[in-house]
Parts: sequence; C-alpha cells; structure tokens
Amino acid sequence: MRKSFYPKMAWSGISHNRKLYIPYFITCITMVMMFYIIDALSVSSVLLQVRGGGTMQGILGFGKWVIGIFTLIFLFYTSSFLSKRRSREFGLYNVLGMDKRNLAHIHFWETAIIAGISLAAGLVCGVVFSKLAELWMVNILKGQVDFKLRVEGSAIRETFLVFLVIFALILLNSLRKMTMASPMELLHSEHTGEKPPKGNWLLALVGIVMLAIAYYLAVTIEDPLIALIWFFAAVVLVITATYLLFIAGSVTLCRILQKNKGYYYKKQHFVSVASMSYRMKRNGAGLASICVLSTMVLVMLSSTICLYAGVESIMRERYPRDLSYEVHVSAPKYLNGENEAGWRHLMAETLQESHLTASDVLEYTSASFYAKFENNNFKMMDEMMDEETNSSRSSSSVYGVYLAPLSVYNQVTGENETLNAGEALVAVFGGSYENDTDTLSIHSDIHLNVKKTVSNFKAINMEGAVSAKVYYLFVPNFDEVAEQLVQYNTDDMQNVSFKCYYGCNLDGSDEEQIAAMNVLNDQFAAIDASEQEGINYIRYESYAFNKEDFYGSFGGLLVLGILLGIVFVFAAVLIMYYKQVTEGYEDQAGFIVMQKVGMTKKDIRQSINSQILIVFFAPLLLAGVHLLFAFPIIYKLLLLFGLNRIQFLAMVALGCYLLFAVFYIIVYKMTSGVYYQIVSTKNK
Amino acid sequence: MSILEVKGLKKTYTTRFGGNQVQALKNVSFTVEEGEYVAIMGESGSGKTTLLNILAALDKPTGGTVLLNGRNLAEIKESAMAEFRRDNLGFVFQDFNLLDTFSLEDNIYLPLVLAGKNYREMHQRLEPIAEQLGITQLLKKYPYEVSGGQKQRAAVARALITNPKLILADEPTGALDSKSSDELLDLFSAINKDKQTIVMVTHSVKAASHAGRVLFIKDGEVFHQIYKGHHTRQELYQKISDTLTLLTTGGDRA
Repeated sequence: MRKSFYPKMAWSGISHNRKLYIPYFITCITMVMMFYIIDALSVSSVLLQVRGGGTMQGILGFGKWVIGIFTLIFLFYTSSFLSKRRSREFGLYNVLGMDKRNLAHIHFWETAIIAGISLAAGLVCGVVFSKLAELWMVNILKGQVDFKLRVEGSAIRETFLVFLVIFALILLNSLRKMTMASPMELLHSEHTGEKPPKGNWLLALVGIVMLAIAYYLAVTIEDPLIALIWFFAAVVLVITATYLLFIAGSVTLCRILQKNKGYYYKKQHFVSVASMSYRMKRNGAGLASICVLSTMVLVMLSSTICLYAGVESIMRERYPRDLSYEVHVSAPKYLNGENEAGWRHLMAETLQESHLTASDVLEYTSASFYAKFENNNFKMMDEMMDEETNSSRSSSSVYGVYLAPLSVYNQVTGENETLNAGEALVAVFGGSYENDTDTLSIHSDIHLNVKKTVSNFKAINMEGAVSAKVYYLFVPNFDEVAEQLVQYNTDDMQNVSFKCYYGCNLDGSDEEQIAAMNVLNDQFAAIDASEQEGINYIRYESYAFNKEDFYGSFGGLLVLGILLGIVFVFAAVLIMYYKQVTEGYEDQAGFIVMQKVGMTKKDIRQSINSQILIVFFAPLLLAGVHLLFAFPIIYKLLLLFGLNRIQFLAMVALGCYLLFAVFYIIVYKMTSGVYYQIVSTKNK
Repeated sequence: MSILEVKGLKKTYTTRFGGNQVQALKNVSFTVEEGEYVAIMGESGSGKTTLLNILAALDKPTGGTVLLNGRNLAEIKESAMAEFRRDNLGFVFQDFNLLDTFSLEDNIYLPLVLAGKNYREMHQRLEPIAEQLGITQLLKKYPYEVSGGQKQRAAVARALITNPKLILADEPTGALDSKSSDELLDLFSAINKDKQTIVMVTHSVKAASHAGRVLFIKDGEVFHQIYKGHHTRQELYQKISDTLTLLTTGGDRA
C-alpha cells in the first residue's frame, strides 16, 4: 500500500463524520488555546512588571495545571464517545480485509491529524487571545500596557508537550479498546441488546443520605479554615452523591413510577417514563458531570466576582487610612503621651518632607488577643492549653478579640455612644453576638456589662484572615481594662498584644503616597534600630502600596475563575451536544416504531421533548440546589478575606446562576435542533 | 358487508434525481369482506408493500380510493389519522417493531395507553389474548430476552388488543424459523376463525396457503386471485405455486 494511503483514509474518516468531529476540533483548539493563554500569562514579563502581577502569576501557574488535568479527563471522555460511534466503520474495514495493524495505522493518523490541527490552530488563537487577556489583566491591575504581540516560547513548548502527552494517551486507549474487540463486536457495538436498567435503590439511598450529610455539613460548618477536612469531605460527598443520584437514583425513580400503574399507564407518562430509565442509565454519568461542572463554574464565578468587586471595601477595612503606622508594644504603659507624641512628630515630618497634607486622622490604642468564647467567657490561649493539654482540636473555634476605647467606635461609625466604667459595647464582625446574658468576662476575671451589641460590624484595620468571626469590645475606660490585661502576658508567652494606631488620608497620587511610606520607614528606622524597651515591632502601611497586591491576588482569582468558567462551560456544551447526537441515533429506530404503532408525530415530539427537558434541566436544577447549600460556606470563606456582604454575594450568585441558565437554554435550543434532524432523517 | 374497498388505486413515485416516474400501482381494485383472510402475493417490486402502506394510511395514493369500514381514508384529517389507525387497524410487521424499552406486556398495552384506557381494562383485555397466544408466562420479559416467534406473538397480541376491524400483516413470517412460522400461521387461522379480518402481504406460499383467498399482484395490478373454497390447504398450496410459476414465466392471465 502506498505511503499516503493511511493519512488519506484517516482524513476521509474525519471529514465524513464532520458532525461529530467539528465540535471535537473546536474543543481541542479551545483547550490548547486556554492552556497556552494561562501558561503565557503566568510567565509574561509585561505582567511581572506591573505591581501585583507577580501574585497574579502565582495563581495562574497553579490554574494551568487544573486546566491540564481537566483537559485530559474531558478529552478522554469525548474521544471514547467518538470511537464508539465510529467502531462500526472500523468493523467494516476489518471485515473487508484490513487487519488490526492497518486499523492501528488509521487510528494513529487520525489522532495525528487531530493533534496537529488542534495544536496549530490552538496556539495561533492562543497567541492572539493571550495578548487580549494580557491587556485585560493589566487593566485589572491598573498598570501600563503596550500593544506588542508577544510569543512566549516556554509556554508554547509546555503546551505542545502537555497536549502531545494527552493525545498519545487517547491514542493508546483507543488502540487498547480496538485490539480487544472482534470485528463483529465492532460492527454491532451500537446495537447490542440492552438489558432494562435495574433501579439500584441501595445506591440511590446512599446517594440521598450522602447529599443530606453534605448539605448538613455545608450549612453547619462554622469556620471553614478550622473545619477544612470537613469542608473537603462535604465537597467530595456532594460530587459522589451527584453521581449516585444521577446514575442510580434516577433509574430507581423511574422504576418506582412504573410500579405506580395509575400513573405509569397514562398517555403522557407511558413512553416517557420507560425511555427515561434507559436514557438515564446511559447518560447518568454525563449528566452528573455536567451538574458538577456547572456547580464549580457557579461557585467559582460568584465568589471571585464578589471578591474582586468587593476589593475596595476589603481594602478599606484592612487599611482604614491612606498612610498609617502601628506600634506594637508589650504593655500599655509604653503607649504613654511622650512616646505617642514622638511618633506623631515623625509622621508630621514625613508628610512635610513629602509635601502632603493629612486629613481624617484616626488614632487609637487597642489590645488584641485570641480566645475561645465559652459560657460568656473569653478563654485565652494558656488557659486553653491547661485544659486540653494534648488534644489539639476542640469543638469551639478560636476567635480574634480586639479591645478598644469607645471613642474609636464613635469616630468610625459617627455615632455618639456613652458608657460607664465596667460597661462594654460588643461589635461582631462576620456574625452576631449570640449570648443571652448581659455580662461577659475575659479570662474569668475581668467582668464587663454588655450594654449594646452590633452584628456584622465593619472591621477596623483587621489583620487579614484572623478568623471567620471577630469580636470588638469597646470600653470607655480602655486604659484601666488594658492594664488588667497585662497580667496575662508572661515571660514566655505574650497572649495580649497592645498597639497604637495612627493613620490619615493623603491628598497626593498613588506614587507620592508610596514615596511617603518609604520616608516614614526611614523616619522610624532609628526607633526600630534602637530596640527600645517594650516595643515589639512597628508597621507602616500605605493603602496605595497594598492596593496593587490586593488587585493582583483578587484579580488573579477573578481571571482564573472566568477562564476556568469558560473551559467548564465549553465542556458542558460539548457533552450536551454529543448527548443530543447519541440520543438522536439511539432514538431513531424507536421513533419509527412508535409512529407505526399509532403515535402521532406530535405525541412523539411531546414525549421526547419532555424527556429531553428533564434530562437537560435536571443538572441545572441540582446545580442550583448545590449552589444554594454552598452559599454559607462561600460566605464564610469570603469572610476570611475580610468581605462581609451577604446580600451582594447572594445577588452575584443569583446573577451568575441566571446568566448560566440563559446560556444553558441557548445551548439546549441549538443542540436539540441537531437531535430532531437526526431523528427525522430516516423518517421519509 | 365489505370491510375494505379498494377502487382504481394508483401510486406514482418520482425518483429523487431526474424526473423519472415509477409507477408502483397502476390500477388496483378489490374488496375484503368481514371475517375474510386475504393473502396478497407478488414478487419483489410488484407493489405489495406500497399497497399495504396505503391501506395502513401510512402513504397517500396518487389516484383511486380506499374505503375502510365505509370511510374514505383520504377524507380523514391528518390529526385524526393516528387515532383512526389505532381504533380500526392492527399491524403485524416482519421485524416485529417492538419497543426495546418496554416489557412485552407494556408493548402490548401501548395502543390502549395511547387511546387513554385505564390499567384495569387493559389488563382484562390482555388476559384472554395472552392465553390464546401462549405468552402469559412471557409478559414481564423484555424483547431482547425472547425468541423471534415469541416477539411476533407479542406483536400479534398488540395488534389484537384494540379489537381492530382489520389486521394488516406485512410478511409476518419473514423473520421467523419454520417452526415459529407454522405456529404463527396456525394462530392467524385461529383468530380468523373468531371472525377477525386479516390482510396479509407475503412471499411465502406456505403462509398464503393458510388464507381464504389469495390475490396476486404483478406490475402494479391485481393479476389473479384464488379462493380456497372447498380446497384443502395442500391443494391451495399447489394452486398458488402454479400461479406463481405462471407469473414468473410471464404467462398471461390464467
């Protein structure tokens, strides 16, 4: 045989099955493109130069492998679908005298053609679109851009290698399947008599129970960081339960419906229920995959959009003023008038030197510690240690607690609260104060009367992910209470940290403000170096400086969320499309029989329509329910980032879901056209 | 009273490419009386299947009329056609046309379910039919689990359960082995004895020899017909064979 024979055979095989291969090509090209884009962005020098770009690249570098692994699984799934559809053709070649070696050649060339075209087109698209993505990301990071088209050699190499491996694995898999099958099996693989699906009610029950447990966990987990294992357990349970429900649960449901004779033997239900059980048996896994993917897209998009949109408010809670310093000391006595005046003077000199004017000065002292809150008592670390010497985990969580003067509360909120000595105002970030008694104590010996409580308090200068819930205790006589707290600091263990915060807003540009921070740094250098007694450390913070980092990491998450969202949506679309095509071929014969037996075309259409609607919208619905139950966890995770806006999150999640549903319906409409086309071709 | 009246039936197909006209039926006229068992024979391409499709209202004639139980098929609206077919006709096909997704029982119920009957009534109707056809034990099985003969008996049950005016059978023995064929033909004879009208299209001389009358179609026309009358099945068999020989050797009307 001539050398060009196999490539020609392979090519004609592909072009004769255009309906199947075009979507496959598009998917492969998209996957290559996505991988390249993310890879290229993660090494892009343009991005690295932008402040915050480094953080973003770190996130993208991780996301690249997520896409790689997903692509492998997904292309495996679709290619096995393709080879199943085409096994008849190969069976025929086999019968006509080609041996398995010849077939292997054709398989090889087909894979080579697909890999070649996908890689070439994917990389070209990747280079073009990576520039767009780069512009977009630099825009997110609010940096400078140029418009040169760049090709990242290392990303091209990596993409090439990764996809070569993926395609090689796919080829090996299809060769393995081919060598095991006999020609007759190949010829008839689509028409082997199918046993009626047995409803495995045990698995269905397990699925329901698992889902219930997962939902329960999702709703009751207090602190996702501490209950990280449970959090992952919930995720795994939900995924497993989704598969069980779609594979076993759906068939069981059909069986139960069939047992109900009054329901089953009705014109509207009869054909639909019977074919549904077969349809679900064949498609359960695919539908479950769509459901899980959709849920992932929704969770990812809504949380990243929220984070990105909320970045300003997170920033302002973390950095209430444009420029600030914080002096952390070991006891309140070091926060005396003399020291404070000295620090303020340094700040004033800094501003003078930088030609900036301060406004909205916020100045306060506070004490902070970590504690468990049990029986109206904040237990500090050492007390906890005594109690449970060796057990590292206990039921209740550890919270951050801030003690601050009431005047700070009044300044921040603009209210005018007054309290007497011995009284406190309790404000809680990320929750509410649940205790019913109106007294609380610290370490069992400082007692305070709770006069007022505030829920979902906006954090003031909170230091990152302390805990999902933070308690602020505002007292009128801060100095006295703080003095009492000193006793809990021992030589080996400092439980309570005292600090003095001074911050102000500035009138200059971001660059000027960052320059001012550096000046401030220099001003304090002397104090830092002198290791003055009682001073633990000093921190200078510029809103402008940290903004870049925040935009970098949250923007990175958003970009990754959107890119992964696109990939997952693509996967879902392709699975849907192939589902419609397979179902079309499978239903063709039945369609004709039903007509002969006396169903009108309208009846058949209605019945098939209702089945397809169920098949298609069940994953969407379940994904919605999953999202609903994931909501508390997402909310608590976002709290760790300092974002406390439950309504906003709810709106974003709902918006994402609706958008996704619209998209889903469009895809459904488009693909169901293909289905009807296939079903009705043999009809006339 | 005649249950089926076919008058001057014509059917012309236009081939898909080029306007070649193929005349499948030229001029077919015959009547079927109530309780008759008629076999229609003819070579491949003689127009048998076209005729059956028109009788089944699955296809429309180019000319002529078909009256079923006094009603002109051409006058029945498309929307009412499926219902009309369901109520008046029972079908038995060569390849059974059972739905794989249903058990035999559910396959048999299908036309009744479509007609909106309740389960109790369907079940009452099924029992005697299943008994007669000897498939009572098989009702819970699925098509892939039973033999061809058993499938065909289930298909006959499906055709009978609506008490149709007419059963149309298209090569019912075509996919069966000889033993199953014999059983099926005996079954047809038995249900015909119960006054069920049957029109069967077949290639098989043996199948046709069970009928009360045999129509021969050649080149789109009714060429000849034989009544069983007082003849035995063997004699009828012989007469059919002779006629077929005549048909193929191109003789004129006997």
